[in-house]
Amino acid sequence: MDDHSPRDAAETPAERTYETPPTERPITDAEAARAAALSANEHIKIASGYLRGTLADGLLKHATGAISEDDGQLVKFHGMYLQDDRDIRAERTRKKLDKAYSFMIRLRIAGGVVTPKQWLILDDIARTYAGNALRATTRQTFQYHGVIKSNLKRTMAAIDAALLDTIAACGDVNRNVMAATNPAQAGAHREALKLAKDISDSLLPKTSAWREIWLDGERVVGGEDAAEIEPVYGRTYLPRKFKTVVAVPPSNEVDIFAHDLGFIAILDKKNKLTGWNVTVGGGMGMTHGETDTFPRTADVMCFVEPADALKAAEAVMTVQRDWGNRKNRKNARLKYTIERYGLKAFRAEVEKRVGKPLADPKPFTFTGNGDRYGWVEGEDGRHHLTLYVPSGRIKDVEGGPQFLSGFRRIAEVHEGDFRLTGNQNVIIANVPAAKKAEIDALVAEYGLTNGAGALRRNALACVALPTCGLALAESERYLPDLVSELEESLASHGLADEDITIRSTGCPNGCARPFISEIGLVGRGPERYHLYLGAAFDGSRLSKLYREDVQASEIRGILDPLFADYAKNRQPGEHFGDFVIRAGHVAKTTNGPDFHDRTGALKPAA
Amino acid sequence: MSRQAILPRTAPFADNERASLDAVLGAATPIQRAWLAGFLAGLDAAGGQPAAAPAAPPKAAEPLTVLFASESGNSEKLAGDVGKLARKQGFKPKVVDFADLDLATLPKAGKIVAIAATWGEGEPPARAVRAYGELMGDAAPRLDGVEFAVLALGDTSYAEFCAIGKALDARFEALGGKRAAERADLDLDFDKPAADWIKATLKALAPAPADNVVAVDFARAGGAEDEDAEPSREPYLVEVVEHVNLNSSRSDKETIHLALAFEEGAPAYEPGDSLEIYPENDPQLVDEILKAAGLEGDEALRKALLSERDITTLSAATIERFVKATGHADAQKLIDSGEARAWIEGRQLIDLIETYPAKLTGEHLGAITRPLPPRAYSIASSRKEVGDEVHLTIAAVRYQTHGRARSGVTSVHVADRIRDGAKLRVRLKPNRHFRLPQDPATDIIMVGPGTGVAPFRAFVQERRATEASGRSWLFFGDRQFTHDFLYQLEWQEALEDGSLTKIDVAFSRDQPEKIYVQDRITQHAAELVSWLDGGAHLYVCGDAKNMARDVRAAVVKAYETTKGLSPADAEAQVATLERGHRYQQDVY
Repeated sequence: MDDHSPRDAAETPAERTYETPPTERPITDAEAARAAALSANEHIKIASGYLRGTLADGLLKHATGAISEDDGQLVKFHGMYLQDDRDIRAERTRKKLDKAYSFMIRLRIAGGVVTPKQWLILDDIARTYAGNALRATTRQTFQYHGVIKSNLKRTMAAIDAALLDTIAACGDVNRNVMAATNPAQAGAHREALKLAKDISDSLLPKTSAWREIWLDGERVVGGEDAAEIEPVYGRTYLPRKFKTVVAVPPSNEVDIFAHDLGFIAILDKKNKLTGWNVTVGGGMGMTHGETDTFPRTADVMCFVEPADALKAAEAVMTVQRDWGNRKNRKNARLKYTIERYGLKAFRAEVEKRVGKPLADPKPFTFTGNGDRYGWVEGEDGRHHLTLYVPSGRIKDVEGGPQFLSGFRRIAEVHEGDFRLTGNQNVIIANVPAAKKAEIDALVAEYGLTNGAGALRRNALACVALPTCGLALAESERYLPDLVSELEESLASHGLADEDITIRSTGCPNGCARPFISEIGLVGRGPERYHLYLGAAFDGSRLSKLYREDVQASEIRGILDPLFADYAKNRQPGEHFGDFVIRAGHVAKTTNGPDFHDRTGALKPAA
Repeated sequence: MSRQAILPRTAPFADNERASLDAVLGAATPIQRAWLAGFLAGLDAAGGQPAAAPAAPPKAAEPLTVLFASESGNSEKLAGDVGKLARKQGFKPKVVDFADLDLATLPKAGKIVAIAATWGEGEPPARAVRAYGELMGDAAPRLDGVEFAVLALGDTSYAEFCAIGKALDARFEALGGKRAAERADLDLDFDKPAADWIKATLKALAPAPADNVVAVDFARAGGAEDEDAEPSREPYLVEVVEHVNLNSSRSDKETIHLALAFEEGAPAYEPGDSLEIYPENDPQLVDEILKAAGLEGDEALRKALLSERDITTLSAATIERFVKATGHADAQKLIDSGEARAWIEGRQLIDLIETYPAKLTGEHLGAITRPLPPRAYSIASSRKEVGDEVHLTIAAVRYQTHGRARSGVTSVHVADRIRDGAKLRVRLKPNRHFRLPQDPATDIIMVGPGTGVAPFRAFVQERRATEASGRSWLFFGDRQFTHDFLYQLEWQEALEDGSLTKIDVAFSRDQPEKIYVQDRITQHAAELVSWLDGGAHLYVCGDAKNMARDVRAAVVKAYETTKGLSPADAEAQVATLERGHRYQQDVY
């Protein structure tokens, strides 16, 4: 259990000097952008006509399942990624076939709340266009995989019919806004969800390109006046992706320290909201071998009154819009902006844009970043069931749980709503007591599960192969096997019930937030991973590279002696991530800039 | 050897010369002799050189109309054979495609040889539909005084064997014609019997001994037809240099792209032609038949059944031959019951032998089966791009009937038992009714779903190599975009380099509703009609049963909707395209 006093946030060394922040808006003129050596994506955005590019034409190129490279960048702003099935890449050329292209489509579901009616439509889409699978993501939304180009417009129309959209689900914009789900705190959850929705709506791109391209909407004729078309973003949107979450202590299920912008609910003794701590500058992504790229946990910057929260969100985002690095995308996220100009200058600029000085953060306590499985009763007497969904894959497993069919049946009878969690699980929320038995019966009938072994229920994996173009190694298809091995090892040391977080990603971009997991695996190559240890259980401290480039088959052997040591020598209540630092196995990372220092095992494990 | 002396000893020739002349003249038909007389007269008149026209045309050559109704080109080829032989024998033959037939010319034709193929379930070949319909209709002219003979081609594996030839034969007679020779109904192994029939029929049609000389057309006397440089139809042994399944490993289809190398140079094929493959039977099926017949261990027979006999086709004729060979009473009952035809549906020879067990001999099997026919596939390459190779696109045919897995003889032979480096026996089969426009500036529209796309790969290669300036538009369809888009990378390249202008695709299983190529035609009706108005040629290749018919209906509909025509007028527009050879089909 880490305690977060305001003092923690101001730990910045005094002697450090920062660059002077810019005073003007970034260059949006194409020629000037070239002169200023802005990154390629900036040119694409400038030339795109507010995210249109040549997407409409590209959809009519029937000989290819792909779209042009530039459009491939733009389509992210519309919530899609062009991918190809890497499992069958090798045979394609020989068969005179192009790569097996398809699209990943990610929805925007602020706070992750969907109605049963929406669920049924989303299920239909999965069955019709997306290979009979819905995927709950690590950021509280759904995504589809395998939608081919010729079905994109149909799929988008169906999503629209569910009163949902995919705008800004990816791309250099404020993406899906997450909110705490803990239904037991009904009042706080309502506030958190409302703030998440308000931020999502107010920071949504205003261009009509999405409706125009995907729903054959009218092209809104008008000037090229950015102030009219994109009053907040302008023609170049943000320098890089921007992720926002809203947390309600004591749960850090949204992993607030891994996000660009966060709000931590500060509750009074009656659990009534008094305001929000604002966190800035968290982020996971880095590049192997480039030490000027690093993950970073967010700083707790200030406290805002509820009425100022939305303003503060917009201010943080626009300062990043104007100060963020547009020459080098690898140094473009807010975390680097803050490292470059300093938290003090950043906060001052935010205060300037909010129009008043902001208070220092209030104390708060997080106890973990996992989910609570099983039934809980909320303050309002409604019941909530959190179900464990391995890697968020809602599909029917042959000879196993029938997630897709089971949730569909539940959606047909359920009167409350569904909530997706940041840990890729699903909550059947707001069930009246009288309905619990019926839900339980369906859960049993379809083999759904409200839990798993301690390690497994604290596991998180990104998608990686075969669809993700960035993946260097397996992740979602590998982690379950590794967890099985490690559970054996843990059990042999009497640690079977110990909550330890473990996360894997196929590349260092960090979709499953591996650098704030007590055990982190980051893909290096086929069956090769970097092994990270020493992060805080509540996600507030980064891990450290413990062993470089290990074979998948070696991982159990490396961890087993550490588990043995932990079992023997831990202090009461001490988490594994804290133990390996105290016991001197691995150096502590204080934050991003020292992430790459003192790496490796500090002593032999056994 | 007895030799009839024709020339008198007083003739001004040496003895050996006289003997030689006797040898020729003695065996000559009256027409040949008359022709020789005309020839010599013409030769003299021209001062010893073959003249452009005979000096003394005492009697015109006997006119002969050779009609053919052809789908795959067999009837047409035989009609050409008739024409050549008839000309040699002194006829003045005119070979006429049913597609171009003007019925009003028939009463004056004098003598008619008709060669007709039967297609599918007893239908005339597509190009013959119009004239055939007219001939069968009330307005058909009388044919009193016309002599005719009909040669019918068919396939005994279809119930309505030779139906069109039979109908024509009866119709000519009903219209007052006089049958000069009995009709022959031939199966796929028609080469030899057809040659015999042609010889006999021409003899029967030959006029009474000529008392005169016959006009000789010296313009053709040098064998102008042979100079047509028809590519060789001899079988070749070729090597497989590429064998790849074009469908992805996630597809439930299997389409083999085959590249065949002709060591001695490929025959002079044209885009649109087909290549016949001589297959081998499935060894497992051969063994099953041998076992069922109690002939296991007969290696010579096994070898013959593997590569020489058609051991899959089951027809009424097969059952009759089986009964004749075995005297099997139950099988006889099947015939007598009138239910044989229904029983045959979905069954093969093995089912017959297993259902009606009988001790068979190799001779029996030989008598029951027909020779294993080669199978033709549309060529998917242009020599201008692939040199001495021929490429084919072959869909493996596999299905299940009556509890037994069945497979297409040739396609599965190619798919399962042929690999890179293997040898295949093949023969060219030209198809001059599926040809690119003469003018390279003419636009082309190609409709080829599934393996129907094969000849269009040849077309696009050819037009790329010849830098044809005409536009081209391909309609392709299959089941799944990702897994069944045959030659996808090549179409992308062709679009890039301009040898293909446009492509529209229809994948039936990618979305809830089925989408087929004809739906894409309907979707682009206005543009399609505008291309056709601009002189574009339209080509359809692939499934005859549904696709070709549906595509044609969609084209008719396109004229209706875009030009506001009545269904009849729109139909007339398409019929005009067909008669002008601007709507060509290669369907199977």
